[in-house]
Amino acid sequence: MSSDALALHGWSMLTAATVSASCALVGTLLVVRRMSLLGDAIAHAVLPGIVVGVLAGGRLGGPLVLAGAVVAALMTVGLTRGLRAAVGLAEDAGSGVVFTTLFAAGVVTVSLFASRIDLDPECVLFGILELAAFDLVSVGGVEVPRALLTATAVLVIVAGGLAATWQLQISTAFDQEAAAAAGIPVAVVTTGLLSLTAVATVAGFEAVGAVLVVAMLVVPAATAELLVHRMHQVALVAVAVAVAAAGLGWLAAWRWNTSAAGMIAVVLGGFYATAVVLAPADGLLARLVAKLALDWRVAREDWLARIWRAGEQAGAAGASVVRPRPRTGLERAAAVWLRLTGRVERSAGRVRLSKDGAREAELVVRSHRLWETWLGRHADLPADHLHPPAEWVEHHLGAAMRERIEAELTAGEADPHGREIPPEAGRPDGPPPVV
Amino acid sequence: MNPGQQPLVEFHDVTVAYGRRPVLWNIDLAIAEPCLFGVIGPNGAGKSTLLKAALGLVPVVGGFVRFCGRPRRQVQGRVGYVPQRETVDWDFPVNVMDVVLMGTYGRLGWLRWPGRRERAVAAECLERVGLADLADRQIGRLSGGQQQRVFLARALAQEADIYLLDEPMAGVDVRSQEQIFGVLAALRDAGRLVIVVHHDLRTAAEWFDQVALIDRRLVAAGPTAEVLTADNIQKTYAGGIELLEQLGQAVAERGRTE
Repeated sequence: MSSDALALHGWSMLTAATVSASCALVGTLLVVRRMSLLGDAIAHAVLPGIVVGVLAGGRLGGPLVLAGAVVAALMTVGLTRGLRAAVGLAEDAGSGVVFTTLFAAGVVTVSLFASRIDLDPECVLFGILELAAFDLVSVGGVEVPRALLTATAVLVIVAGGLAATWQLQISTAFDQEAAAAAGIPVAVVTTGLLSLTAVATVAGFEAVGAVLVVAMLVVPAATAELLVHRMHQVALVAVAVAVAAAGLGWLAAWRWNTSAAGMIAVVLGGFYATAVVLAPADGLLARLVAKLALDWRVAREDWLARIWRAGEQAGAAGASVVRPRPRTGLERAAAVWLRLTGRVERSAGRVRLSKDGAREAELVVRSHRLWETWLGRHADLPADHLHPPAEWVEHHLGAAMRERIEAELTAGEADPHGREIPPEAGRPDGPPPVV
Repeated sequence: MNPGQQPLVEFHDVTVAYGRRPVLWNIDLAIAEPCLFGVIGPNGAGKSTLLKAALGLVPVVGGFVRFCGRPRRQVQGRVGYVPQRETVDWDFPVNVMDVVLMGTYGRLGWLRWPGRRERAVAAECLERVGLADLADRQIGRLSGGQQQRVFLARALAQEADIYLLDEPMAGVDVRSQEQIFGVLAALRDAGRLVIVVHHDLRTAAEWFDQVALIDRRLVAAGPTAEVLTADNIQKTYAGGIELLEQLGQAVAERGRTE
């Protein structure tokens, strides 16, 4: 591969990354404001604005075209709201009516003036990223794609605009009414966001087309929201995701000789799916692990408590008893684990708790009986209603809550079934003597 | 903020409508002195709407609201607002400190980021509502009472002169209620006017210096003991407003057919 071809790919990739970064920045605010679909609408509705801008003598990516796009975007929002006020059309349906009409008008105009416009319906839908590197202009002696210049200008406008109003943007996004009451001009802030969205969209539109630009707006922010939990972090991670997807997508498209725009969107989708599975706190895997860890702890605690109770019934909580039958596979595994770790001793079909095992079992039984006692006092329930909730609560009642409940009891009080509540600190002389 | 003897807040013949349908009729209410002021009435009486009308969040179709004799635009930022907790998305990616800092943005304006002073104010406000140790906590991981106190701290950070709170005690545990009430009483003692929409008559009698009873129209307003009489409460809660309801419906219908 010649160095020329390499430069060609490098320029295109850089263009894609720059465009993606702009879209990810505005997308962050659109996503947290639940306005993603408005982003979709704007991405389509800017077309007639672009066309009018070009017909008026502007060139793609020039100021006239950007201005046309902003006007078209604000018109979409204005018309949608107007329809709701005038005839009560719901906002989603209204935006569906408005943006498709505007987009269609743009497509028709492009076809009508095909000879005068450097745009065709094909590139409107799918972008011209692949061709970007053939339209070069000279900047300080270096040949640079025109599209990259546009994309860079757009990134500067978008990043600068958001940086200047960031606090007002997130305050408005979080709670519009309180922001308005605090003196923030929320209408101006929102109009500003919509205008920046239109500007970012124009760059994205040129590069990847009207359909896939939505992916650039929404997917990076949606991915970032799964990974981090503060606005500026979401914005930065969204940009990182967008740039990485642009790079990887471009390389993959080159390798398999397919649509770069399509590949970038596919990679973005892949990133999102990965985040859904692997996100540290909210991911499917993390939740599965947390659930399994809980199930495992419950199984261990249940097994210890069963042996402890059987011993209590036999006369002493530390007594050796006939080994209970495990109720689930997990409890069977827990029984083996507890024996291997020395909490339960087993011999000839009988089991007894070691000192450590008895200590852990006592806390479970203590939680159980404290809860039965508390519920018996505070909810007017018959005695047979107390056990089932306690079976569940015993695994969740921490030391702090046990202490609070105990503070309500009189010393030496028994649970509603008349059984002793084991003390928090354990018995001074350890578990009761083995019979 | 108060030249002359203008009332701190004055509702003059205020009528509010959603669409064409009036929900508050001809409210005349003036509050002259800093105090804890309760707005009391049944569900759907228009209590929240009254606050929103004062803040310009809903359009007033008749009459006007003045703060110290001036329209709201001229006292922008001097009025703090605590909306109902359910109005925001608590999964929003911010922590407690971020939200409280938002109270300072109105004054901070464009192009400026919160600095040391803003952080100090926000930290102090969190201290006042008893949440200093939760500054870094994700807002989605707070209890209802804690969320309400974060909202209160955000309004405090605005350092306003008049505070409007919409049902701050709704769905809040007793400890948070006491904490919130303590903060509001301290604001009153520091010379601020605190207007609270509240639905519970029993605690209203205990907490507020003055109250207004509202059910789509103003039934009575003044010192709590004088206003919360059996007769007034009967008038507020036992209806007598079907006529207003019917009229509102008729106004809305006519708008559609004519």
